[in-house]
Parts: sequence; C-alpha cells; structure tokens
Amino acid sequence: MAEEMVIPAWKRWLEGIGDQVEFFFKFFRNIFTGGFEWSEFVRQCYEIGYRSMMLVGITSFIMGVVLILQLRPTLVSFGAASMLPKTLAVSFVREIGPVIIAIICAGKIASSIGAELGSMKVTEQLDAMEVSGANPLQYLVVTRILATTVMVPILSVIGDIIGLFGGFLALNLRDKMSYNLYFTKVVASIDFSDFLPAFIKTIFFGFAIGFVGCYKGFHSNKGTESVGLAANSAVVTASLWIFVIDAIAVQVTSLLFYK
Amino acid sequence: MMEKAKEKSEQNHKPKGTDEHVIVIKGLKKSFGEKHVLKDINLEVKRSENVVILGRSGTGKSVTIQCIVGLLKPDSGSLKVFGDEVADMSEKELKQLRIKIGFLFQSGALYDSMTIRENLEFPLTRILKIKEQAEIDKRVEAALDSVGLLDSIDKLPSDLSGGMRKRAGLARTIVVNPEIILYDEPTTGLDPITSREISELILSIQKKYNTTSIIITHDMECARLASDRVVVMDDGEYIAEGTFDSLHKSKNKIVAAFFKDIL
Repeated sequence: MAEEMVIPAWKRWLEGIGDQVEFFFKFFRNIFTGGFEWSEFVRQCYEIGYRSMMLVGITSFIMGVVLILQLRPTLVSFGAASMLPKTLAVSFVREIGPVIIAIICAGKIASSIGAELGSMKVTEQLDAMEVSGANPLQYLVVTRILATTVMVPILSVIGDIIGLFGGFLALNLRDKMSYNLYFTKVVASIDFSDFLPAFIKTIFFGFAIGFVGCYKGFHSNKGTESVGLAANSAVVTASLWIFVIDAIAVQVTSLLFYK
Repeated sequence: MMEKAKEKSEQNHKPKGTDEHVIVIKGLKKSFGEKHVLKDINLEVKRSENVVILGRSGTGKSVTIQCIVGLLKPDSGSLKVFGDEVADMSEKELKQLRIKIGFLFQSGALYDSMTIRENLEFPLTRILKIKEQAEIDKRVEAALDSVGLLDSIDKLPSDLSGGMRKRAGLARTIVVNPEIILYDEPTTGLDPITSREISELILSIQKKYNTTSIIITHDMECARLASDRVVVMDDGEYIAEGTFDSLHKSKNKIVAAFFKDIL
C-alpha cells in the first residue's frame, strides 16, 4: 500500500517538472510569435512596478535604518564608526537590498499573479480566451513575466537608494555626518563589481517571480480553494527560487569579480 | 493542395438552412482516469438547428461540447466539425475553427478586469484583427443591442447581475458572427423570468444570425422554447432523441423524470 502511494508522488513530481519546462518553452515561443501585447505589458508594469513602490520603499527604508543601528555598536567597538556608510552600502547593494526586495515582491506580486490567473481559471476566463481563438499565454503570461523581469530590477535600484537614505537618517540619530560626506563615502565604496552582478541577479529574480506566479495560477485546479493554494504556492516557490538564484549568483560573482 | 483548400472553403460556406451536417460525432469516448465519462456518443447536428442536450449532472454533457471546441481531446471515436476531424487539427487549424464556434460558459466567463466594451473588443482586435475603431464600435454596439445591454457598455462585469452577465457573455460570443454556438447551461442560477428571457434570446439569435446551436441545460422551459431537437444523455451515452413534444410522451424512466413536471 505504502509502495502504491510513493509511485504516484514521484510521478506527479516528475510531471510537474515536465510541465514547468514545457511552460518555460511555451513562454519563449510566445514572445516571438504573434503580436506583442504592448498595452497589457505597460498596464502590468504599472500594476507590478508602481503599485509595489510604496511597500518596497518603506521596507527598504526600515532595513537601512535597522542595519545602521545593528552595525554601529560592533563597528564603534573596533573604532571603525567611520566605516558605517561603506559597510551599509556594500552589504545593501550587493546582497541585502536585492534579496529583501525580491522577497517582498515575491510576497506581493507572485501571490497576486497566482491568485489572479487561478481565479480566471476557476471562473472559466482562461478557457473562454482559448476557445475564442485568442492565446491566453500571449496576453496573460508573456506580459506578466516580462513586466516582472523589467520592474523588479527597477524596484531594487529604487529600494537601494531609499535604504541608503534610511541609513543616513539612522546614522544621524547618534552621530553627526553631513549628507555630502555620507553619500560621498557611499558612492566611493560601491564599485562596478558590486552593482552590476547585483543588478543582473534581480533580473533573474524578477523572471522567477513572474514565471512561478503565472505557472501556479495557470495550472491551478478548478476550485475556489485552489486560488488560495496557487497564491500560497507561488509565494513559497518564488521565495525558494530567489535564494537558489542568489546562491548561484554569489558563486558566479565570486569567481568572476572577487578572485 | 489549392483544390483541397477551395473545396474546404466551399463546404464551409454552403447556403444556410440546408440539411448539411455541421457537427458529426461517432462513437466518441472520453475517460478521466478510471471514470468513463463518455462511453459511446453519436450525434449529428444540421446547419441552423438548435439541439438541446438534457441530462443529470456528471453525465458528460459539458465534456461533449468541450471536445467539440477542442478544449478536451477524446480518447477514441470521430468528431467532425465542418467536415474536419477536430482531433487531427493543428494548433493553427484549431484556432481557425474556434473563430467559427462561439462558446457561452455557464458563468458567462467575462474578463473581469475589462469593461463590457473591452470584453467585446477583445475577440475583434485579437482574433479577427480588425483595426478600424469605427468598425469595432459598430460591431460591439450591434451585439450589445441584440442582447439589450447597450446601456451597460462601459460597466465592469462586477457591476452586472447574473442575467446581465450571461447576456454580456452572449454578446461577446455573437460579436464575431460564429456559425455554431455552444451554450453550457445558459439559464443555470437565474430566476424563471430571466431564464425565459435568455431562452428567448437564444432563439432570436438563431433566427437573426442563422446559427447552429448545441444547448446544454437542465431547464425544461429553456429546452421547450429553444430546441428543434432534444437529446437525453445518461451515464455517458445518449438514451433518447426527438422533438420536445415527442420525448414528453416517452416511457423511458429517465426521460420521463425530466418531463414529469411539464404539463
């Protein structure tokens, strides 16, 4: 009996992998075939980018403040308080900013895409689109995945700037440092090799968020419960992918830039 | 190749109202795992005919029309629409076929992020690739006028009642002038007055646009009003077929159960 239970489980897992690979290739095929839905792409950029800006801004600001407050005692004990702007800038731009912002986006965007497409499936809107002869992949999936791929890096850059500004305000709670000195130190400490790999990995984060959200929504079951499951599963899977991509990106960056 | 295409085109544009069968189903079978939903379906639908399929829930009615439009692939048997086997069609051919088939979903399946106008414009711009806004507006307004919803053109689906959503769904179906319309329980969840209005609308659309229709319903009033022929389905098979009045006199227990409250 137990053996009977195991076989469908791994079969289902393998089928899931196969479905994801097929979905991946369908996405790429649909970018280049048929007309591109520019108006829907712009609408999605607005929905995904502009509407997430407040959340990303607040989170990044708080992270900047918290990091300075956490780092200060340690650096002060080593007599290295002047290193605070550099330490914050490097850690925020290289790692904390992109990952935290991507996780926030996974929570907000992947879940909303998963729930939206899942509910479209439940209410037969996806079937309606398909039987009318339109291509739901082209209209719904391509536009959303490309919008997240474009907007998450932009949100990440905006989040980095706001986070560094938060760090400046936190630093001035205890110490006094001028705006000019703080940002001169920040800019001087960030190298091309700090910014570029971090920016590139946010492109992959954005793709993963859009892809997972669309896949989970598109492949949800036809029941109201499945809408919640699609949203939940989209967040969990997208978050996991962000850490996997980050681990790979760090390895690649270390090999290329920090020998 | 050209001759074949010409022949196909002529077949598809025969004068309406002839005895030509636009849908021919023979020995259709479909299973989901161990569950045999369609066991042996045979059905022929003539051009401009309204066929009502009656049957209990879960007997395979919706699966039949989903096979017709290529949403589901049958396991075996033959299903020809306009003389072409649906299962053998390429993605492109299936897309072309779907332009000629309208499908009204039980829920209306309106795109809820779009207004009614945008819902109707969607198939015109994406499928028929109409570019002129004047032509699009003319078609959208004509379709909405046919279902009596011209006043709600700029409303969102969430602002409409259940009956209005069904009408809007019907308008989106007829806006591309399909030759066949498949109705999946068009009156379910509606009050008797609205149900009757929808049934009369189905009939008026058949007359106005000369469409062929398959209507899946449990609503006997809808079946009486809209049908030229009624087919009764049970356990994945058709068990009776005839006009509404002839089936009314049937001795078959399942058929009689459907007609028992009809005077």
